[in-house]
Amino acid sequence: MIATRQASLFQNYFSSNYSYNELLGDDGNLRPYWQTFFQSFGQLGSEELQERRHAILRFLKENGVTYNIYGDPLGLNRPWNLDVIPFLISKQEWTTIEAGLIQRAELFNLILKDIYGAQQLIKNGLLPIELVYNHPGFLRQCAGIQLTGNHQLVLYSADIARSPDGKIWVLNDRTQAPSGSGYALENRMAMARILPEFFEGLKVKQLSPYFTDLRNALTEMMPRQDQPRIVILTPGPRNETYFEHSYLSSYLGYTLVQGDDLMVIDNYVWLKTVGGLERVDVILRRVDDNYCDPLELKEDSQLGVAGLLQAVRSGNVRIANPLGSGILENPGIMPFLPAIAKYYFDKPLILPNIASWWCGQPSEMKYVLENISTLVIKKIYRDSSVSTSIDGSTISAKRIEELKEQIKTHPYLYVGQEKVTFSSTPSFVDTKVEPKNALFRSFLVSNKDSYTVMKGGLTRTSSDSSNMVISNQLGGLSKDTWIINPESNETDQIQQLTKNSFGIQSQSQSQSQFQSRLQLQSQQLQVAHVLNYKNVLPSHTAENLFWVGRYADRFLGNARFQRTVMQAITEGNRIQLDSNRETEHTLLMALTHYTFTYPGFIGETGKAKLDNPWKELSEMMFDPNKNGGLTYNFALFSRAVNAVRDHWSTDTWRVLRSMEELWVEASTTHLTHFKMITMMDDLITLMVAFIGLNRESISREQGWSLLNTGRKLESSILLVNMLRATLVNKHDEEVAYNLQEAVLRSNDSLVNYRYKYKVHLQLPLVLELMLLDPDNPRSLIYQVVRIKTYLESMPNTQNTGSVPEHVRLTTELYNQLKNADKDFLSTLDDTMATYENLDNFLADMYSYLATIPNAISKTYFKHTQPHRQLFTAG
Amino acid sequence: MNYKIVHKTQYIYYEPISLCHNMARLIPRNANGQVCKKSTIVIDPVPDVINEFEDFFGNKVIYFAIQHEHKSLTVTVSSEIERKAVEQKQAIDTYGKISWEDARLQLYQPLLDHIDARQYVPETEATTFEAGITTYALQSFTPGRPVYEAIYNLMERIYKDFQFKPGFTTVATPISEVMKTRKGVCQDFAHVGIACLRSVGLPARYVSGYIETLPPPGVEKLVGVDASHAWFSVYVPNIGWLDFDPTNNTVPTEQHITIGWGRDYFDITPLKGVILSSGPHRLSVSVDVRRV
Repeated sequence: MIATRQASLFQNYFSSNYSYNELLGDDGNLRPYWQTFFQSFGQLGSEELQERRHAILRFLKENGVTYNIYGDPLGLNRPWNLDVIPFLISKQEWTTIEAGLIQRAELFNLILKDIYGAQQLIKNGLLPIELVYNHPGFLRQCAGIQLTGNHQLVLYSADIARSPDGKIWVLNDRTQAPSGSGYALENRMAMARILPEFFEGLKVKQLSPYFTDLRNALTEMMPRQDQPRIVILTPGPRNETYFEHSYLSSYLGYTLVQGDDLMVIDNYVWLKTVGGLERVDVILRRVDDNYCDPLELKEDSQLGVAGLLQAVRSGNVRIANPLGSGILENPGIMPFLPAIAKYYFDKPLILPNIASWWCGQPSEMKYVLENISTLVIKKIYRDSSVSTSIDGSTISAKRIEELKEQIKTHPYLYVGQEKVTFSSTPSFVDTKVEPKNALFRSFLVSNKDSYTVMKGGLTRTSSDSSNMVISNQLGGLSKDTWIINPESNETDQIQQLTKNSFGIQSQSQSQSQFQSRLQLQSQQLQVAHVLNYKNVLPSHTAENLFWVGRYADRFLGNARFQRTVMQAITEGNRIQLDSNRETEHTLLMALTHYTFTYPGFIGETGKAKLDNPWKELSEMMFDPNKNGGLTYNFALFSRAVNAVRDHWSTDTWRVLRSMEELWVEASTTHLTHFKMITMMDDLITLMVAFIGLNRESISREQGWSLLNTGRKLESSILLVNMLRATLVNKHDEEVAYNLQEAVLRSNDSLVNYRYKYKVHLQLPLVLELMLLDPDNPRSLIYQVVRIKTYLESMPNTQNTGSVPEHVRLTTELYNQLKNADKDFLSTLDDTMATYENLDNFLADMYSYLATIPNAISKTYFKHTQPHRQLFTAG
Repeated sequence: MNYKIVHKTQYIYYEPISLCHNMARLIPRNANGQVCKKSTIVIDPVPDVINEFEDFFGNKVIYFAIQHEHKSLTVTVSSEIERKAVEQKQAIDTYGKISWEDARLQLYQPLLDHIDARQYVPETEATTFEAGITTYALQSFTPGRPVYEAIYNLMERIYKDFQFKPGFTTVATPISEVMKTRKGVCQDFAHVGIACLRSVGLPARYVSGYIETLPPPGVEKLVGVDASHAWFSVYVPNIGWLDFDPTNNTVPTEQHITIGWGRDYFDITPLKGVILSSGPHRLSVSVDVRRV
């Protein structure tokens, strides 16, 4: 039975034109570990397999695992794709790979130290000066800076691949800010959660020792008596691997910061937090080194910290990897590595390089020019977003001539590399197993005496056997990577499980035990949050949380009011009555004022829409270009949410995804008026769920206060706007009644009104309920009291002894509200067309509410001040 | 010759600045034929942080930060320099006579000085070979021409072909623009010279410094009065670094004072900084070079 299942799964696998040695041994049989794996695989059955595959994608989606694609407007937050079949590496093979990678890391460490130090390699002719000095990663500003300890190179990554004869080759070296370890971890989480059966009998090695050593390495970079403060420096939410930055920040418990969250004062690096400045000792950077300091490096960089190199030179901050390590990401070094390995270790390289020819040498250039159509041509450095590898066999004769010219003009910038065919590895595509080419990224971290290699890694596959370039930028599938040892009886894993998080169970224990371990992990993660985030809320994050609050309530307020207006229009054929017609028109115009979707129903063009409002109403919901519309506001909300993505729980992500899906669904189908209203209901429910979940998941007090301040401020502003747009103008009794009803309905307060007053709607009572009633959770005074409480709980960064401006303004606002009188506000001068007292009062309220955010911003979001270069004096 | 030099740079801001970081490369280094006997820097307002160090090229750098509110920044550097002409005639007569192609070939002999000089061969952003640089250079570097003669000819041609016009370019003006308009200031001419030399494979570096201007009676006034100055320097194997001033069509002797050098202007910018502000600012510079 199993055999037949396997046969159908492998349909066409062996008929395609691939080398298939990953799967088969020399004897033509499945390799034993694949045998074990496919036994578990086959036992699941194809239906169950499909289900699990979807479960994996859902898991990744709900965890917000994404990858951003450059240059693609729709590419932001592209979902991550994971194959259900992992990439398997046997223990025996791994032993060689591991030793080879460690040797390579040690070698690069010595090269780095030498390039920025004594330069013996250059002086002894082992490394041409042109290869080093022409690389943009050679930062002259970093010469002479050395870290204490054994290793200059803290982190190292290599992309490796198997050729069809089973040999392992190193394709790329990553030495600046290697990405992928977080994705590797998340892949393992997903596999362990969704496909625990697959691990059976394979004794899969754990990833966690790598992360433990990463933590140790970073901590030991800055020896201190107390714990050093470590931050992760990210280029920001638009970076391709931003998900990973925020994921590692949560997992490791380090604050995620952007360049303008940091500043250099007194030769130290400080983190700007809502509670003041906090000293930073170690920076794990994900910003390319050239962008790290606009004073000394790339001057127009907005991602760096001015003066950072001064702090580094003074020894007051350490950066992993150190600035300048980008010089090693240089394929031109490859041909010189064997001689350098001999120079330092008197040993050959354990893992071979791909044969490479650096064109800076005349005979090598000649060889490359003569054989260009069979080689892959690379530049010695990477441009950030463009692929710099060119396969000579795939380009036109004209392009070849151009390329030759470029090489001849700047020979030292080019390297020719032998084309290596990858071996293929089984991948699950649609319903069957297919061969795909695999590229494996490994991760190493310094552990004082040597390097620790992650026992696993990130594997990516491509279907094109001739394509040496596998990148997430070009699409492709990822795989979990398993180092397996099925023959041995190791027991260390079980013991480690109790110590470490994210272990993988390979014995026959069941899923339930795994689940309970996951729970334990999430508790540990929570603890990490609490410890590290205490009093440390970067002002950037604070600002984003504040705006998440504002946009959430803006969205909610707009959706509720528009729903009310749409309901009022659909309920019966009330259009025949003049009073109803006036009510509708007033409401539609009020909706435009309220949402700021001008011109909307205002003015001459607006007038024409009043009797047939549905087109405009639909645009307000679905047109992404309509400023103030729901889609527009949702986009602003999403952006703010994504910018602080490590603050949301899995459940919160699920809600956010549901909202997005609802949106996609609605925008692709034609909606009836009724459906528009029910969709509004669904959106409102989901947004309320989002807000409710925050209450549970955001444990950081200041962040929570700011998010809620944002919410309460926004709903106060919206409420004042609504009252001004509906109740200030004098109307006929019936219209006025309808409008008051709409206001109460839109604010979910109609029931409250009836319960409290048990009379017909009257303006003074409506105003009392909506403005002055401290017990109505929808009233203005209720919001203002909350704002006051939240703001008073925030740290006072001025330390001047005086009351900060935002608190003073809020107190004044509160006092005015407290002393307001409903009857005075509802007084009408018969000669006037407006309730003037009410109008003035609301205008006052509005000006307070509009000023408070500026005062908050000035106190807590100081980073908003831009930096710029002084003109240089010639 | 002994000189006293006062170089004053002032920034006026239109709004108060609470934090600025600056790098000054204004303290003259010792160089061939030059001793810097004394150099002091006075910064107003008094900075909260001052670090001194030597950069990759051996230039003296002062980093300073002002961490309190200020509306202007004045940096005054006073230096005392002893300058002597360097006797290179004999070396030039011997080794300057080899062809420029041979000179280029000799660079790749494994000698430390040669290796070090080779870092000045590749083009930089400010000295790209675009807009006919190579063609322009080859008119001086004709096949087999003695290297010194070719360089001297290049300097003369830049002096004749380009018009000195202050204010026409800024430090950000690309070399292609200078080649097209044939107008600029000393920085531009130095960059043109450097790009030409590099385009034929010779190491050339940018020198930042001052030039003495003599009082009028009967003497032609040199260009570069009361301002910092710049010229280029070429490495010729077996001779070493030779300075040429294309702005004044002269080989610097005892009237040129060196602050420091790099691959181009951006390695040796006299004063630069980053301020926390988006507002505008005004800059004024004055230089006084006096014999003592």
